Amino acid sequence: MLNPSYVGRSLPATQPVTITAQSVAAFARSLGFADESTPPPTYLISLTLPASNSLVDDPDFGLDFTRVLHREQRFNYLRPVEIGHSLTCTVTVESIKTVAGNELLSLRTDVAEEGKSGDEAQVAKVWTTLFVAGDAAMEGK
Amino acid sequence: MATLTDFSAGDELFTRSFPIDRADLVEYAKASGDHNPIHQDEAAAKAAGLPNVIAHGMYTMGLASRAVSEWVEQVGLDAQLSDFTARFAKPVVVPADTGAEIVVTAKVRKLHEDGALEINLVVTSGADKVLAPARATLR
Repeated sequence: MLNPSYVGRSLPATQPVTITAQSVAAFARSLGFADESTPPPTYLISLTLPASNSLVDDPDFGLDFTRVLHREQRFNYLRPVEIGHSLTCTVTVESIKTVAGNELLSLRTDVAEEGKSGDEAQVAKVWTTLFVAGDAAMEGK
Repeated sequence: MATLTDFSAGDELFTRSFPIDRADLVEYAKASGDHNPIHQDEAAAKAAGLPNVIAHGMYTMGLASRAVSEWVEQVGLDAQLSDFTARFAKPVVVPADTGAEIVVTAKVRKLHEDGALEINLVVTSGADKVLAPARATLR
């Protein structure tokens, strides 16, 4: 079971990651985009997923990643992501809901441009909802 | 050149299909950094209670975004995707021999008062709706 006291808590902002032409081209190519120099709409997942590593690895939080399925994903873009941007990610535990013995964990990641402040820094808000199977669901497998 | 206000609720925009195979999932894993073995290894997928290897939900969502982007270019819209959301309703099972097919169908859900065009995407694989609902908003 997840530790409910983490709801509302934010992880420290990640170290800035500079968006390289190489990583954008590889991501675009893997999805078959003809334009390999513009980050595809879902490109930010490659930053936001590792941003929650310290939460996944935190024994006090109690997340068993072998029980996790990706349930929902949302990207809200405030401005385009561009090659050369240096971006930080701040992950917040928005909610934990229990549904029939399983849990739904919602994380929000605020993606910001390093070196700017306030609204100017904001690039995107990204929500990820994970389904964490409870014991009954695991036994049914 | 089209503009967003040329469209209204219920307009059918496009249907696109994408054949996919295991090699595509390996490439996506490398590019995205998501190396969960249920997307590459049959034994790992079955141990997790799945019928076979499944595509990353984000791979399917990525293909849906490509379908939208290609349509935007095809009709000559000057617009950016401002919001993109999906619920992963069913997994896309990808057998080693046959692969799978992902079909994306798009209709206008709403033209907002501020001029934003909200598109409803139905994404299927075989008989299953795999992304439901999925929505993309262009500005």
